[in-house]
Amino acid sequence: MKHNITTRSTLASLLIVLSLMCSSALLSFAQQQNAPANVSAQDKQAIAAFEKSVKDYVALREQLEGKMTKLPDKSTPEQIEAHKVAFENTVRTARVGAKQGDLFNPAIAKYIRMTISNEFKGKDRQELRKMVLEADTKGVPLRVNYPYPDNKELVEMPPTLLLKLPQLPKQVKYRFVNRHMLLVDRENGLIVDYMLNALP
Amino acid sequence: MKRIIASFFIIAALTFGGLADNVFGQSRSNPKGSTQASLPVKVSLPLKEGSVRFMIVGDTGTGTDKQRQLANLMVQYRQVFPFEFALLMGDNMYGGEKAEDFKMKFEDVYKVLLDEKVKFYATLGNHDESNQRFYVHFNMNGEEYYRFKKGNVAFYSLNSNYMDKRQIKWLEGELAKDTSEWKIAFFHHPPYSSGGKHGSETSLREVIEPIFLKYGINAVFAGHEHFYERIKPQKGIYYFISGAGGKLREGDVKESSPLTEKAFDKDMSFMLLEVAGDQLHFQVISRTGETVDSGVLMNQKKSMKATK
Repeated sequence: MKHNITTRSTLASLLIVLSLMCSSALLSFAQQQNAPANVSAQDKQAIAAFEKSVKDYVALREQLEGKMTKLPDKSTPEQIEAHKVAFENTVRTARVGAKQGDLFNPAIAKYIRMTISNEFKGKDRQELRKMVLEADTKGVPLRVNYPYPDNKELVEMPPTLLLKLPQLPKQVKYRFVNRHMLLVDRENGLIVDYMLNALP
Repeated sequence: MKRIIASFFIIAALTFGGLADNVFGQSRSNPKGSTQASLPVKVSLPLKEGSVRFMIVGDTGTGTDKQRQLANLMVQYRQVFPFEFALLMGDNMYGGEKAEDFKMKFEDVYKVLLDEKVKFYATLGNHDESNQRFYVHFNMNGEEYYRFKKGNVAFYSLNSNYMDKRQIKWLEGELAKDTSEWKIAFFHHPPYSSGGKHGSETSLREVIEPIFLKYGINAVFAGHEHFYERIKPQKGIYYFISGAGGKLREGDVKESSPLTEKAFDKDMSFMLLEVAGDQLHFQVISRTGETVDSGVLMNQKKSMKATK
């Protein structure tokens, strides 16, 4: 009986040490990635689904752009404008049925709101709100598949927040417009999707 | 300690005195004119053989008469101080990016400099679309962030609108293998600023300053604020703001700011710079032709060695 108790307590100690080692390794990884340390299984699912939707969009726009004449690295303004307009029209046509929430579904929207809320508290939140609300973004349409106007400001995304949000492929970017968050294609300027009231 | 050493090595020869090195009075103007009376050109830079000479201007993209006046002054100064290239601090295009905007807000304004083969290296501001990276005269070669080298100086143009993991990884990778004597970073949003409208970009600073310190960035140049400011060295790094190339936010510098070494918010301005060996010389010129700041900064790495 005593032997059994000793074996059990040794095993329990081993398990505790192992779990501490594992959690320490995981924490270190999370810190390296600057991701929130406590992501629930539900949130992980939401992030994975969101990343897949973004990847699907990027695959589509890459396929469409691949059929167009490549924009040279040293282009004239006319070439840049012509490419942007043609690319915009091609993607708009291909995504004619796209609607709000296709990428920012309720689960990822909830996760993003929570992340922003956790990242920005007190004075930091006030400063972020000030920066976002004062930006010249009045008139940017909250409409999927519409272009982000080229005469409107592109509000800087705080790097500390970018490090905590799901990483996007280089072709799309998060953008704040008022309190809302948009996904914008960096070349054709189209609003891929948006979510309301991202900023608390 | 680094800060003390850096401060010690700043020899800020403030304007109006001792600038008689090179004086010139001829002027040429850009098309559509805004011809202004020829202003006396006083250059306080050493013009050493083999040095790296460049110009810095930010927040330019308006196409206004005042932007042209400043550009004309750049042309005049270039006759005495032949800078080879220029750094643009972002907000290169306000209020639209159609083909005619590039012409009106950039090509027409800097026509003489472009004709004289001055290369402009741009960074993106919060009013700039990513597609500017393809524009032939911005020399970004299709990249939102990039590195280039001139002599013993490595330049890092960063995209402070969107400092994500990808860009940070790239920056660390480049800096880790960079053996240049001088490492200069430039981007739109200032990590330190005494501006009343915007102020210091603390989120950006939190992420990039540790990298700058780890890999020995010497100097940082930014725009966004529509004035000139030289910040007191922060953790040994020199920080400048030059964001009054097309717009001015008059009186925006907080007078009581503990960050300011020297500021000028009364008129538009641009900077001339010369890296000669372990010295970085600078001169800041206002739209009316006054030198509003000048001085020489020592390479921190070499200073540290010298003091050991």
